Amino acid sequence: MEPAARSDSQGSDAAFARYVVPELEVLLRVARSLTGRSSDAEDLVQDTLLRAYNSIDRFDGRHPRAWLLTILRNTNINRNRRRRPVLLDDQDATLERLAATAGTMDGETPEGLIVGAEFDAVISDALNSLPERYRQVVTLVDVEGLSYAEAADALAVPIGTVMSRLHRARSRMRQRLAAAGLVSRRKL
Amino acid sequence: MSTKPRRMFGNKETASCLQVMRVLQSYLDGHTDEVTARRVANHLEACRRCGMEASIYREMKAALARQAKPLDDESLVRLRQFSFSLTQRHDDDGGEPSADEAPPSA
Repeated sequence: MEPAARSDSQGSDAAFARYVVPELEVLLRVARSLTGRSSDAEDLVQDTLLRAYNSIDRFDGRHPRAWLLTILRNTNINRNRRRRPVLLDDQDATLERLAATAGTMDGETPEGLIVGAEFDAVISDALNSLPERYRQVVTLVDVEGLSYAEAADALAVPIGTVMSRLHRARSRMRQRLAAAGLVSRRKL
Repeated sequence: MSTKPRRMFGNKETASCLQVMRVLQSYLDGHTDEVTARRVANHLEACRRCGMEASIYREMKAALARQAKPLDDESLVRLRQFSFSLTQRHDDDGGEPSADEAPPSA
């Protein structure tokens, strides 16, 4: 390689290490939310890393997470065009989550454990029952902890759409809790 | 893209029930401005019905946060290795990596 080209590549490598590598965990979490499967999520992030590396020279260094989430989203769209639909989470996973949650509730009364586990079970079922566009935004914001803006980047929708979907999704989940007798029915 | 904090109308120190319900979700997510957050907090302390509603949504958010599964450490290690391998390829062949050259994930 010529010295100038080597210098350019070293700059790209440094930019990649600075802007991309620190976001690996967030990318994997979002990829898991979008794909629903850990193995697919890893493949998606790998493809995203490759695209990010090949375009790092054109990145201005501002808002690296938003830039990467946009690449991740577009990569996922391209992958879905040539792949099967996402499989739904199985019931065993819900039971495993409940068992794990119950194990972390040391110090609570047995009644509290049962109510807490039932609350979590209804929430889990309600989340899985939501239409995909609602489930994705709840998963990104409430489960994975993304901000409205980050979720908007990942889903290619305006922030207002993230907010309205969240509001509707949570209202639906609240109705499920009320139907199960775990919370009062809304009176407002 | 930035998030503009939501601001409620009016200048009262305490919001009405209707105003609170309009911004409750944004408030619980920390996406309201400071003045609005204070007004909502004042209302939630004084109004039992809205306070209960806020508690329900806080419990829901906590339950949803508990749904988060830990990341697969092995996936992270493989992705870090892949990232490292990308930055080494220039030294090996002088060209940019392509999708065909990418090592398969496990």
